[in-house]
Amino acid sequence: MNYDFTYLAILLSDGNEERSEDSRCYASPVKKKAYSVSNSSMELAADESVILAYWQICDGIMDHRGLKKLKYLGSCTLLKRAYRKASALRPAFDQQVRDQLKILRELEEQNCDSIDRAADAFAGLLSNAAEEIEDPVRRRVLTQMLYHLGRWVYLVDAADDLQEDAKSGNYNPIALRYQLSNGEWTNESRHEFALTLDHSIRMMTTSYELWNFGVWTPILETTLYKGLFQVGKAVLDGTFHRETNRKRRLRNSNE
Amino acid sequence: MSNPYQVLGVSETATDEEIKKAYRDLARKYHPDNYHDNPLADLAQERMKEINAAYEQITKERSGAANQTRGAYNSYGGGYQQYSTYSSSGSSVLQQVRIAINTGDLSRAEALLANYSDHNAEWNFLRGAVCYRRGWMDEAKRYYQTACQMDPTNSEYRQAADFMEHGAQRGYQPNGVPFGTEVCSSSDMCGRLCCAYLLCNGCGGMPIICC
Repeated sequence: MNYDFTYLAILLSDGNEERSEDSRCYASPVKKKAYSVSNSSMELAADESVILAYWQICDGIMDHRGLKKLKYLGSCTLLKRAYRKASALRPAFDQQVRDQLKILRELEEQNCDSIDRAADAFAGLLSNAAEEIEDPVRRRVLTQMLYHLGRWVYLVDAADDLQEDAKSGNYNPIALRYQLSNGEWTNESRHEFALTLDHSIRMMTTSYELWNFGVWTPILETTLYKGLFQVGKAVLDGTFHRETNRKRRLRNSNE
Repeated sequence: MSNPYQVLGVSETATDEEIKKAYRDLARKYHPDNYHDNPLADLAQERMKEINAAYEQITKERSGAANQTRGAYNSYGGGYQQYSTYSSSGSSVLQQVRIAINTGDLSRAEALLANYSDHNAEWNFLRGAVCYRRGWMDEAKRYYQTACQMDPTNSEYRQAADFMEHGAQRGYQPNGVPFGTEVCSSSDMCGRLCCAYLLCNGCGGMPIICC
């Protein structure tokens, strides 16, 4: 289970997840671990996460060569059974994900220099996850939150890849939009970009305030009002990768 | 109507001062300025009405039905205004675009704008408004700026461009912590709390740190 699923489950759940039980699982076959009892929103989040992960892995197969491609092919094979089950249960979402990823690929091929247009494809993909929610108010709130979370993730990811893409010549909408050379920010472009991220975060927080997320309130509030800014700033400062690589090295040396 | 104390998030034993503070905090959160051109402004307006009604009910109950003057207060109410249907260009097509934006019919607004060949200041402003509602913040800002350059005297265009420059940071923020990527504290406040990665590209993609 990764944090993709966790966040999607949090957002799609009704905030009353109090029940937990103890059981063994594949990851912990001996010692019993507490787990949250499944409910319909968690089922929805699980199905949609599997579909999202599957198609992103398929995308990764096209994007990579050599050993990395093999890694993606392996993951794809592992996920295939779960994907078949999930896509049979959520055919509309499955189709939407395919369509949006196709749009994204076409925009990349066209070297699209609109960061909004490129981010829209990914943001739309994530906001579709809220379509099956019955309550109309909650559906509107989550659609807007997920759209701007998707937009933010896509843009911050592209910002994080700026220098790598400049070296490899890969498509990067931010480099094209601000006409950056060697993936280096100018003060003006950096400020403009931070502003556009802030507007998306503002859209997320104003949506968030219109629904009661129950037990998830503290984690969502901290993420939306603090965590996103901090990650965005670290990416813009160029310290994000350094920090994560350092943590990875520390983790590896401890293992 | 639901329990007014629950609406304000206070207990029935809360003091008048605590109730007033809770009301003000909520009013700040759902204030129209925070939902400027926001597609969910109608929901914020509904919430504001509930909060106003709850506060009014509590103050009336506490002051006694006979003495309602004590409950008098300046409630937040209006202000979730939509675009005026008046189009400064005088074009009926652009007036229809304003109506379409106000009713949330962005596809119609876009279609009307696409077929309108005179890309004047009003056209750019409305194009910016459609972009903003769609979440296309970068393009919204650029269209608003173009509208301002073409007609620097128009206050509506200037306000929209100004909002794109400063509006996101001016809104509600719990505990008064600065709102903004460039102004956030990267160490003390958030740093110690940050803990988890959210992998958004499935296979080792973009990690989000959550606090």
